[in-house]
Order: sequence, then structure tokens, then C-alpha cells
Amino acid sequence: MYRLALNMLFGDRAKLAMLLCGLAFSALLMAQQSSVFFGIMSWTYTPMVNIRAQVWVSDPMVEQVNDAKPLRDTDLGRVRSVDGVAWAAPLHTSFVQARMQDGNFKLITLVGIDADTFAGAPAVLTQGRIEDLRLPDTVIVDEWGAALMGRMTVGPDGKPRSTPLKVGDTFEVNDIQARIVGICKVKRAFTGGPFVYTTYDRAKGYTLGARRTLSFMLVEPQKGVTPAELCDRIERGTGLKAWTSDTVIWSWGERSLARNTFWWFWTNTGIPFSFGTAVLLGLFVGIAISGQTFYSFVLENLKYFAAIKAMGAGMGVIARMLFVQAFTAGLIGFGLGAGMAQGIGRAMIEKGMPPFVMYPQILWATFVLVLGISFVSAVIGIIKVSRVDAASVFRG
Amino acid sequence: MSTLAHTVAVRASGVDMFFGTLENQVVALQQADFEARRGELIMLVGPSGCGKTTLLSVIAGTLTPQAGTVEVFGQCLDGLGQEDLTAFRRKHLGFVFQSFNLIPTLTVIENVMVPLLIQGRPYDEAHARSLAIIEKVGLKGREDGRPNALSGGQQQRVAIARALVHEPPLLICDEPTSALDKDTGGHIMELVRDLSRSPERCVVVVSHDHRIFRFADRIAEMEDGRISRVVDDPKLLDATYL
Repeated sequence: MYRLALNMLFGDRAKLAMLLCGLAFSALLMAQQSSVFFGIMSWTYTPMVNIRAQVWVSDPMVEQVNDAKPLRDTDLGRVRSVDGVAWAAPLHTSFVQARMQDGNFKLITLVGIDADTFAGAPAVLTQGRIEDLRLPDTVIVDEWGAALMGRMTVGPDGKPRSTPLKVGDTFEVNDIQARIVGICKVKRAFTGGPFVYTTYDRAKGYTLGARRTLSFMLVEPQKGVTPAELCDRIERGTGLKAWTSDTVIWSWGERSLARNTFWWFWTNTGIPFSFGTAVLLGLFVGIAISGQTFYSFVLENLKYFAAIKAMGAGMGVIARMLFVQAFTAGLIGFGLGAGMAQGIGRAMIEKGMPPFVMYPQILWATFVLVLGISFVSAVIGIIKVSRVDAASVFRG
Repeated sequence: MSTLAHTVAVRASGVDMFFGTLENQVVALQQADFEARRGELIMLVGPSGCGKTTLLSVIAGTLTPQAGTVEVFGQCLDGLGQEDLTAFRRKHLGFVFQSFNLIPTLTVIENVMVPLLIQGRPYDEAHARSLAIIEKVGLKGREDGRPNALSGGQQQRVAIARALVHEPPLLICDEPTSALDKDTGGHIMELVRDLSRSPERCVVVVSHDHRIFRFADRIAEMEDGRISRVVDDPKLLDATYL
């Protein structure tokens, strides 16, 4: 009977198309909005991805990576003295204004890294060499920043256009020249400003007036010492806060700075509520459209279901037929919706805006919710059919 | 058991059936007695609202009467629960409905397969048996088409094939020719009458259509919720109805 149930479903193409539209739209909305949400949230801990180190050390009051509370430079020595530390390097992060050659100002994320070890340096440079950071007044800008901070020129058509910054271009930070010696490829940040890398000492100069400039310390454990173990030792030995660089936000590791950052944004901003509303909207729209369409499909076939009942099919068989129809539509609708969400996501990634991260968990959750919509739709249909009197088939 | 008992296919005795509450009660059947024999085609006739369809539904086990007993091929329907009645219909009954009730989104053969699949028969077996009966009702070559592409007569043939594919002993036909012209109705009734010619089968037909009365072995007239007369003498039958 299930094969016939499917043929009944596929035979009514108009209804099927409507049903699939509802389910696909619902799946699209839920998957796409969740993916954008997690994409945006993944930007919150971008520094953890761009600046690679096994252990991060911060002021004890720090709650998330964008909230650096400056440390004393002497803390670096204290950390280095902890048993199990292979090396520790200073890191400066701050938001400063950069003045471009055309007089415009841009907010940038200034990252000062240790000039000796280059600990925390970007992994991929598309132009230039990291060693050139040792030259006077030099910086490395990320690709997106290079485009954002581009020079305004006049094109061959006489119209103004922005030309991305390149190696050799300059701008100013706090009236000090910054000469670009490299373009790097890093992940964009939630705070929006491009990443500008320089040496730790030069970063001090760029942030004139700040008494303390040590934001974090990047630490490498000795062989045989796990990051979590070293964190314990650092905290016991210095009273500072030590974090692991684990960026798997689904884990339960309390020491992950990325995870803490993620949940800080989750609880302290309206982002989850905003996106959660959109996801719920998708769910309700799905239930409304699909439920209504499936109900209409059942209504249209009601006399046939009554006939099938009269011919000796129990409600169990009919219920299973309706479930097969609803779940099949649900599966196809989910496939279409998730596929469209992926397509939109890819287009978004190519355009660079907004972020899009489709975790497998998002797909699973969407899948379960779409099947939930199908279940509700089927149950509504089953209730209707169960109330139909088999004798009604004799009433013309 | 007497010989007569062996010949009885359907027996309804003292059947009462009411609809609605006390104030608005409608009496559909009142002490109705009905009997159909094996190997015969019996017609239930009478004016609208006399209780024909209700009696048919009671015999089919889709309605449970307030009083009286119903026996179909030795199976007493009194006291059977819904599940048992459903199983009874699945095994013993074939239906031909007034408006065919062929599922338009299924092909002809898929429509015919429905009773077998309800019985839990494997798809391939159901397909083969359905194909055979479609051939028998003269629709070979049309099995993969949709019912809507067929004429009214052809659709009723499909409905008959569906009613018989699982070889039920009792075939119930509700106004089988009401949507057909005289010639097509005649052909359909010839087919139904031929099918009734088996000691293991009985055909009960409800009809208003006097053009097909001549196909009946007996005619049971209904009036005010009961059988008022049964005409079984062919001569009398001719005189009264033809």
C-alpha cells in the first residue's frame, strides 16, 4: 500500500509542488538563518583562529577574547617561569583608528606580535614576507582590509574607484607611518575592523598613551604537558587566567576561550533571540503551509480514503499511508531547502558577506524539525480520515 | 443444516436502524428482513429515502444496526468490533460504488490492486492477478492509463475488476449504472450477472434504474425502511418491471 500511497502523492503534482514549497521554504529558512547565526557567532572568536597558540593567558577578569584587559609586561616573565612552559610570547590587540592617504579614517584591529618568534603571525601571506615586519614602521594587512582601506583613484572612465592596498602603500596610525610589507589571508572578525599585524614593540608606539599594552600572552607547553594541564599550572603559579585555544564550541571544555567568547555573545547580546525568532518563524511557516496543503490533499482524497476503509483497510494501514506520504514530502522538502541554503551560503561566502557556517548539527536539527512538520501534517490528516465514516461511500 | 441454509448467502432479520436523537430521529430501517441466495443477483429497489443504502451499509458491516441480526456467508456480524468488521469486509466483500471512487492519481491497474494490497498480498502477485482480471473485464491494454482517460463504462469496468480481484463471495453494487447510458449500463449488468453465476458468490445491487431490472434474478422492493415485497417469479418480474 505504501507504494500506492507514494503514487497518490506524486500523482497530484500541483499539491505536491505546494507541499514541497512549504517544506523547502521552511527548511531553507531554518538552515540558512541558523548557519548565518553560527557564522556570525564564529566571527566572535576569530582572533583565536587567526592568532594561533596552544595556550592563551589573560587578566583573571577577562571573559572573552575581544575584551582584553591589559597586563603588566612583567607578567610575561612570571608566566615563562612556570614549570612546563616551552615559550611565552606577548600579544597586543586593540582597536585603533588608521588614517588613510586620502584623509579617511578606518577602525582597525591592531595585532602586535613578538618580533623574535613571530608567535601569533598569520599563517598565509598572499603578498610579502613575514620577516619584513622587522623593518621600521611596517605592517601586514589582511586581504579584506586591503580592499576596505583601498586608495580612491580615478578610473579610465573618469569615475572614482577604490584600488586595494598593496605592498609598499602606507597609512598612519596615531600619526606614525605604517608601511605595508605583506598582505595576509585571515578570517574576518565580528568587530568588523580589518586585522593589521605589526611587532609588539611597534604596536606600543601605535597606541601612545596606553600605560599597559600586553593584552594576552601566547604560550607553548613543553613536550608531554597538555594545554589544560599547563593552564592549571599557570593559574596556580601566577593568579592569571589561562585558556586553551580549542575552537570547537560544541565541546564542554571550560578552558576554551573561543567557547567562552561564543557563550558570552550568546548571553549578552540579542543575536540569538533575533535569529532564533527567524528560525521559529521558519518552523511555524512550515507547519502552516505544509499542514494546510497536506490537509487539503487529504480532504481532496477523503472519499478515496473512505472507499479504502470500506474495502477493509484499518486505520493503522491508512495512518501509515499518510505518514509515508508526509515523510516522503518532508525528506524531499528538506533536501531542496538544505540544498538551497547551501547554495545561498556558497554565494554568501564568495561575496564575503555575511558569514555562513553550516554545521552538520544544523542540518540534523533542520532535518528533525522538517520531519516534525511532516508528522504534525500527517497527524492532522489522520484525525480527519479517522472521523470519516466508511458508510459514507454509499451516499454518492 | 438444511439445504435452504446452504443456499442463503445473506440474511438480515428484524433490523432496526435509527439516525439522530429522539426529537430529530430518522427511522432508516424498521424490522427489515432481507435474504439473498448464493449464485443469484438480487436487486434492492424503492424510492429515495426508503432505506436501501442503509440496508446495504448494514449488510456490508459499515453500519451497525440498533437491533436485529445480520449473517453473511455464515458469518454473524452481531457483536463484531470495528477491527473484526474491517477484517470481514477485507475478506468477504467487493464494492462497486455509484461514483466509481477510482483514485484519479493512480493508474488503472494500481486501482485494481488496492483490495489485494489491503489484504497484505505481495505487490508482484497483486499486479499479476489485477492484470488478469483487467483482461477479463475487457480492458487489456488500458492498465497503465489513468481512470480519467477512460469512458464512464470503462471506469465502471475498472471498479468491477477492483471489486472482484480478491474473489470476494459477496459483491455489493450501489447504483452501478446511474452514471452510464443504456447500452453501457446493459453491458455492465451483463458482466455483473455473469459473475453472480457461482454458488460461492452473491451479488446485491441497489438501483433506481429500471432499465437494468431485467438482469435481476429477484427484486426486493423497499418501502419505509422495510422490504415490502420480493418478486422472484420471472413472469411477474416481467409484468411488473419491464
